[in-house]
Amino acid sequence: MNTMTVKQQVVWAALLWPYLLTMSVPLDCREEQGSSSCISISQEKLLDRVIQHAELIYRVSEESCSMFEEMFVPFPLRLQRNQAGYACITKALPIPSSKSEIQQISDKWLLHSVLMLVQSWIEPLVYLQTTLDRYDDAPDMLLNKTKWVYEKLISLEQGVVVLIKKMLDEGTLTAPYMEQGIFQEDAQPEMLESVMRDYTLLSCFKKDAHKMESFLKLLKCRQTDKYNCA
Amino acid sequence: MAILSSSSNLLLVLLISSLDWLSTPGSAFLMDWEHVTSSAPLEPHFTECVSRDQETFRCWWSPGSFHNLSSPGAVRVFYLKKESPTSEWKECPEYDHSKRECFFDVNHTSVWIPYCMQLRTQNNITFFNDDDCFTVEHIVRPDPPVSLNWTLLNISPSGLSYDIMVNWEPPPSADVGVGWMRLVYEVQYRERNATNWEALEMERHTQQTIYGLHIGKEYEVHIRCRMQAFTKFGEFSDSIFIQVMSSKETTFPLTLILVFGTMGILILIMLVAVSQQRRFIMILLPPVPAPKIKGIDPELLKKGKLDELNFILSGGMGGMPTYASDFYQDEPWVEFIEVDAEDADAREKEDNQGSDTQRLLGLSQPVSHHMNIGCSNAISFPDEDSGRASCYDPDLPDQDTLMLMATLLPGQAEDGEASLDVAERAPTPERSERPLVQTQTAGPQTWVNTDFYAQVSNVMPSGGVVLSPGQQLRIQESTSATEEETKKKGKEGEDSKETVEKKQKELQFQLLVVDPEGSGYTTESNARQISTPPSSPMPGEGYQTIHPQPMETKPAATVEDNQSPYILPDSPQSQFFAPVADYTVVQEVDSQHSLLLNPPPHQSPPPCLPQHPLKALPAMPVGYITPDLLGKLSP
Repeated sequence: MNTMTVKQQVVWAALLWPYLLTMSVPLDCREEQGSSSCISISQEKLLDRVIQHAELIYRVSEESCSMFEEMFVPFPLRLQRNQAGYACITKALPIPSSKSEIQQISDKWLLHSVLMLVQSWIEPLVYLQTTLDRYDDAPDMLLNKTKWVYEKLISLEQGVVVLIKKMLDEGTLTAPYMEQGIFQEDAQPEMLESVMRDYTLLSCFKKDAHKMESFLKLLKCRQTDKYNCA
Repeated sequence: MAILSSSSNLLLVLLISSLDWLSTPGSAFLMDWEHVTSSAPLEPHFTECVSRDQETFRCWWSPGSFHNLSSPGAVRVFYLKKESPTSEWKECPEYDHSKRECFFDVNHTSVWIPYCMQLRTQNNITFFNDDDCFTVEHIVRPDPPVSLNWTLLNISPSGLSYDIMVNWEPPPSADVGVGWMRLVYEVQYRERNATNWEALEMERHTQQTIYGLHIGKEYEVHIRCRMQAFTKFGEFSDSIFIQVMSSKETTFPLTLILVFGTMGILILIMLVAVSQQRRFIMILLPPVPAPKIKGIDPELLKKGKLDELNFILSGGMGGMPTYASDFYQDEPWVEFIEVDAEDADAREKEDNQGSDTQRLLGLSQPVSHHMNIGCSNAISFPDEDSGRASCYDPDLPDQDTLMLMATLLPGQAEDGEASLDVAERAPTPERSERPLVQTQTAGPQTWVNTDFYAQVSNVMPSGGVVLSPGQQLRIQESTSATEEETKKKGKEGEDSKETVEKKQKELQFQLLVVDPEGSGYTTESNARQISTPPSSPMPGEGYQTIHPQPMETKPAATVEDNQSPYILPDSPQSQFFAPVADYTVVQEVDSQHSLLLNPPPHQSPPPCLPQHPLKALPAMPVGYITPDLLGKLSP
């Protein structure tokens, strides 16, 4: 028995030997956002790049939302200032919403909140791309922006994952916190309804992008100057 | 489930907004209040909700027309924070009745979560407008930046304008350092008494350069900011005033001096230009040589007078106009003709006064006087042709020229073109034309008695000119020349290209060839002479060649070893007596730019062929050269 287990272990070790090696390789090498070559990057720089991504994503999403609103949403129905709250898909996420709350939560929670937000928006963005294609006169710029945002969001997710690993020495949380599959397409949705739904999506995403950006900035402040960022 | 809720939300929204269309006196502070008509009674409404730092916010309300509700506490503010579907309306956490303000502090402010505001009276009458819902980040109006200051960057060299750098600090209330808010700034400036502000581009950093301000003027600058990617600006900061006076008193007179100095210099230049106008024009626009053909009035060469020119050139009406004929009376046609005295004597025997050729060649008395013409004489014709080439050295043996000229003679054809053509060629250094001269002694009668004009049938690459058959007399005399030619042949040693070829080739026809050996335009001539040795008379020849007879009769002083490029017509005597047409039609121009001529109809000479080595020509048909023959003739 013992010899068998020893042999098994040896066999397993031999088989898993390359896997061990890969495990020992710093993971940020592979998962570094936006870079194809394997160079390591410092934590501060990575955080800066993550923040840049978040800023850009917010700006582009804001432009897309305005563009969509101008083109498709009738003037009286422009909800930009109002009640996107109920309709947002991420309303159920336990995410802090005031500065005081944000200042009270830990770095870990900040990062996890950001990650939750990012992950919960990946699928809706895919849906948004397909649905925008269905509009007859959607400008190419709108479609391009949406596509661009989606790609940047993916890389943002990767960056945040790496950050979490680096800063918090944790594994990733893979489970998204929101329901999947709420975007089953109705057969032949009405034009206005579809427009409003997409508009709500865009507005909510814009809001959440702003959230991500703010969280990350606060996090950065904490990293650099713990005492003034209270 | 979610779909249902979302669709119900949408319906609700639609309903409410449709209601909103109907109700005119909107109480939504976010709406444009100019749309509200003043006729309808205003219910209590919120005037504005503003956040300065995205951490707190305030809302102000107004009782509207309901003055009974203006007392403090008559109206209560309720808000709904839509965190969950079970949220409830709550009352304002902090009132400021003096300002009718509801203040939400940090604990009650949540960003990214919609708030809805409501006014309720004591009797629970609710005034609510859906447009009073907002999220905090959308109502942020940052405080104005502080510590606005400026520094002078530079003053322009003219001392009239300057640039400044404006810098400031972000408002302390906005937590920019933490990154909670991202601000962009807008700087505006104007002259003190102007009404419009100049706005510069949004600036992310805390400094901005203003270019192009004027010395001595006073400027007013202020600044405001907003959150990036949002639309609401904050208030303007206090203005600062900027004025820069010119520090140097001398700048003013200096500019004056500069300006006047430049003007003075310009005037000077213009004066010089005007006074030296002619010189400048000479330099800038040098005179262009006018078109000139000797013997022809330049007037005719002007545009539009082609007919007259053609007429003259073709020799109609007696040739050149009067003044030209005068010229020809007195001057040789070519300027560089020089003839030895002894030659002149010899020639006098055969002098035909009436012949142009004589005149040309200087054979005649009057002409001989004009031998040794240098450039100077040649320009007796009123000719200010500045474009003419420099005159040749009169020391050059002009006998070549004479020879060349001689070849021009045959025929009464006054082919002016041909003459002209040859004349142009004449002025080349020709040492080889000496033999020509000699020829004249022997057989110059041939040419001498012929008319000056001859028709050039062909031009050989070597430079020789093939002339059309000439007159009878000439032909006769050329035969004698032929005999001499044979003698000469023996003489010639070198340069025997043509000689050899002459001997070798059998001519179907003869070409009258002038080849001033070694003349400037002599190319490598493969002796296209078609010289018919006298021994091989061929039918159908109509051409005569004039042989440059090396003068046995004359001392060979002037005779070079150049063989005579001239080919004598040998054969058919009958041919020679046949009247020769002066004109033949140019049939075509072959590859060597030789003119292929039609033979004159009453003659049977074959057309003049280019000087190709004629190896084995078939019997020349009388008449025209057919294309296949032409093909054989071509090298």
